[in-house]
Amino acid sequence: MTDEHQPRRDEDQKEFAEEHASLFKITLGPLIWAAHFVACYGLVAVTCAKGWDIDAVRSGLLVASGAALVGIGWVGWVAWRQWNVAQTGDFVNRCGRAEDRHHFLGHAAFLLSIISAIGVVFVSLPLVLIGGCQ
Amino acid sequence: MTRPSGLPQPEGPYPPTDEMLAEPVPRDVQEAQASRLRAAWETPKGWRYITAVNNTEVGKWYCLTALVFMLLAGVMALIIRLQLAVPENDLVSADRFNQLFTMHGSAMMFLFAVPMFEAVSILLLPGMLGARDMPFPRLSAFGYWCFLIGGVFVIGSIFFDAAPRAGWFMYPPLATKDEGPGSDIWLLGLSFIEVASIAAAVELIVGTLKCRPPGMRVNIMPLYAWYVLVVGGMILFAFPPLIAGDFLFELERSFDWPFFDPTRGGDPMLWQHLFWIFGHPEVYIIFLPSIAIAAMVIPTVARRPIFGYSWIVLSAVGTGFLSFGLWVHHMFTTGLPSISLGFFSAASEAVVIPTGIQIFAFLATLMAGRVKMTLPMLWISGALAIFTMGGLTGVMLALAPFDFQAHDTYFIVAHLHYTLFGGMVFPVIAGVYYFFPFIQKKLMSDRLGKWAFWLTFSGFNLCFLPMHLTGLWGMPRRVYTYPGGLGWDWLNLISTVGAFVMAAGFATFVWDLIRPKHRQAQIPRNPWDGGTLEWTHDVPEEAWGVRSIPHVTTRYPLWDQPDMLTRLDAGRYYLPDAQEGKRETLVTSVIDAEPVQVQRVTGPTWITLWAAAFTGGAFIFPTFSWYTPAIISGALAICCIIWWLWTATAQVPEADSKDAGLGLRLPTYAAGPASVGWWAIWITMLGDATAFASLVFGFFFYWTASPDFPPDGAAHAVPGLIALAALAFAVNWALTVGARQLNRAGRVTPARICLIAAPAVAAAGAAALVGAVIDLEPASHVYPAILWALAIWIAVHSGAGVIMQLYCLAGSLFGKLTPRYDADIWNVSLFWHFVTISALVACAVLGLMPEAL
Repeated sequence: MTDEHQPRRDEDQKEFAEEHASLFKITLGPLIWAAHFVACYGLVAVTCAKGWDIDAVRSGLLVASGAALVGIGWVGWVAWRQWNVAQTGDFVNRCGRAEDRHHFLGHAAFLLSIISAIGVVFVSLPLVLIGGCQ
Repeated sequence: MTRPSGLPQPEGPYPPTDEMLAEPVPRDVQEAQASRLRAAWETPKGWRYITAVNNTEVGKWYCLTALVFMLLAGVMALIIRLQLAVPENDLVSADRFNQLFTMHGSAMMFLFAVPMFEAVSILLLPGMLGARDMPFPRLSAFGYWCFLIGGVFVIGSIFFDAAPRAGWFMYPPLATKDEGPGSDIWLLGLSFIEVASIAAAVELIVGTLKCRPPGMRVNIMPLYAWYVLVVGGMILFAFPPLIAGDFLFELERSFDWPFFDPTRGGDPMLWQHLFWIFGHPEVYIIFLPSIAIAAMVIPTVARRPIFGYSWIVLSAVGTGFLSFGLWVHHMFTTGLPSISLGFFSAASEAVVIPTGIQIFAFLATLMAGRVKMTLPMLWISGALAIFTMGGLTGVMLALAPFDFQAHDTYFIVAHLHYTLFGGMVFPVIAGVYYFFPFIQKKLMSDRLGKWAFWLTFSGFNLCFLPMHLTGLWGMPRRVYTYPGGLGWDWLNLISTVGAFVMAAGFATFVWDLIRPKHRQAQIPRNPWDGGTLEWTHDVPEEAWGVRSIPHVTTRYPLWDQPDMLTRLDAGRYYLPDAQEGKRETLVTSVIDAEPVQVQRVTGPTWITLWAAAFTGGAFIFPTFSWYTPAIISGALAICCIIWWLWTATAQVPEADSKDAGLGLRLPTYAAGPASVGWWAIWITMLGDATAFASLVFGFFFYWTASPDFPPDGAAHAVPGLIALAALAFAVNWALTVGARQLNRAGRVTPARICLIAAPAVAAAGAAALVGAVIDLEPASHVYPAILWALAIWIAVHSGAGVIMQLYCLAGSLFGKLTPRYDADIWNVSLFWHFVTISALVACAVLGLMPEAL
């Protein structure tokens, strides 16, 4: 959180080193959702086309859904800690300090992990509710 | 490890202190600086005006061109409505009707909605970011001229009775079997425009990441910039599948390679997948930037900061991701397994959540503020009402059983027009009223604006609300006429009347827009009391964009940094001068926007026009099967682009660093990840890799969809040549990266030897790959055809890569590329990272997959 320093040529790399985890985290939740979605759609499509055992695939994918939710939960927890609203009491982070940027990225990643979790639950529902390939 | 290039680092105090900012600039210094800046940024006069590349000029042309295409497509819609006003009408023939609705949809999507995003963003974004221009002005201009040429070509076809007529999504086999050039015009014309879209996306992403004013960290940038980032990213992943699809489609049209022909192993469903992987995100590509305009207007009219900034960022990013999981909801009736439909139905319902969040954030801002009902706000209110209606029918249609009933009826037509008018047309018109003082330094008429709004709003609802019922009562889309007595007659008549009322509204709006406003008095600088940087613009107009680039520490600097405007005008901030008479803008770091470089940007030129004209020839001549002129035109386009790059990009500067103001000295040259060019290549190649991935997806799709792929006893690619190709591509990569490292280390001669060897090896690799498939018969079955397609893709990319390597060799020989100034070779090696991975994947698919499957 050093505010006063001279900018350097390697500024980008340094910021990424400092905020690398956050930048990654802001899309990590949605990326887990996307990976889960592609796995569900791809595997089910091939299973139905090739006549593989759909029940086994459904169970396997439900386990994957659980794993995706755990992963998103972890992302959300880390982001919540980074947002740190319980201590700062600042919900808005509208100032121009490095600290605000740090908290803001945590806030955005936290919200995105919630929407990703909802997405994973939604996309898992057909696995539970729909029996086979008909 | 890469050795440092020895270029200077930024030096001097940052961030500026209050004392530094409070120190006045002497009057004579101010005037001398202003006159030098004015000279450097002067817009060309007379017939040279079309050589301008400044974002304000190109953005205006872009907007007006898209508007003209929109009006033409609107006239087509009026003819459609006239034809359908009464049963058994014979105003136009069935064939003409097919051309009209195909063209109406294609033009509204590809020539109006998507380009309008690019146009508005090119016009406004530098102003909002306090930048002088976009980082690559000539690329914007090139994109614009491509759009103009391609658009005129595509829309002009309707005047020759040769327009595409298979519907705007061109489903095979109807479109592949269609006689005449219509489908080719659609494919090649729009591919050409898609290239322009990707160019604009690259420009806008790099602009947002690297050209923000000092201090504008990611948490305080205008929401519009967040939306631009998200939408730019979406374009990179959405357009390439369509380009890959167009590539396959055109190979089938021109050479009868059976990608979509089931009698020879092809599958029309592949086109539907590739089209809608593009097509559904595209709806959000249209919607998000328009709603971003609402995110700029609403805080101003509510006179308070936006409520829930992080929530809106969440909804933009979340919508961007989720929108890629919806495409099959356009294909619910194609007989996919119901469990697959379930995934897409669920994702379609989930996307409502982030979309709804931003609407609620807007409503909360309005409720918490003291709303001043201005004309832009009137249009935004109309947008929110209409979009909510369209969203609700969308939730209904996302349920597969309901969609089975409503599919291909007028209910769909009503739904999509509600979402597009509420999500795009109304917010964009609100934006025109809101930003008109910024763009033209004039105000539009309040009275005409109100007339235009009420005519458009009531006409729209009169036209499209009855269509829900027409659809539920069974009227299918795309019929050129219908029998009387089915209960559709009066509904259609009402819709037609509504369409003309709406047209009167648009006519009022357009008249207000273009009527001469010479006699209007000079407008106030910030007529709406906005808080963001674009309202620091100069009235009367100055072409320099911003007098000096401010240090920004708040989300609404004009509200929260009271001294900023006077200091900015006095030239107290960064880059207040153009000592060398050259156009410059500031490059800052990605996350925290700390100044890192002074970037020279390019000025007026003819070369972009020539490059666009020849590129147009390369795409347009094949429509008529004139392949020789097309190849000549393509070669000339490459020559123009090489000339343009050689004379204007990555020039060796006269000094390695310069004073950027406030005691800060910044370097004037950058290579590798520090340079904007490297970022542009990275982003472009991400899109390119997506297109390649779509082709590979096609290969596996055929395997999934058909019981015998590859067919028994089929001839395969020659394994020995595939192995040779893989080896050659790996060696070429090592030589390219080796040239970069040797050059940086000062060992120029070995670097040149690498740059001589690398193109030869790359060419050998491409030749081996093509040689491996040359004996296969692509017209006989889809298996050899897709192998050919993959080989051609890699060979063409290798060709481009070879030209780049030779460009670097020439640069090294003529002193443009030295150990100290080596941006070109960094960009070329980045290009080859991507192409090498693609080539190795292609070798694996060609060589290993037949065994594995």
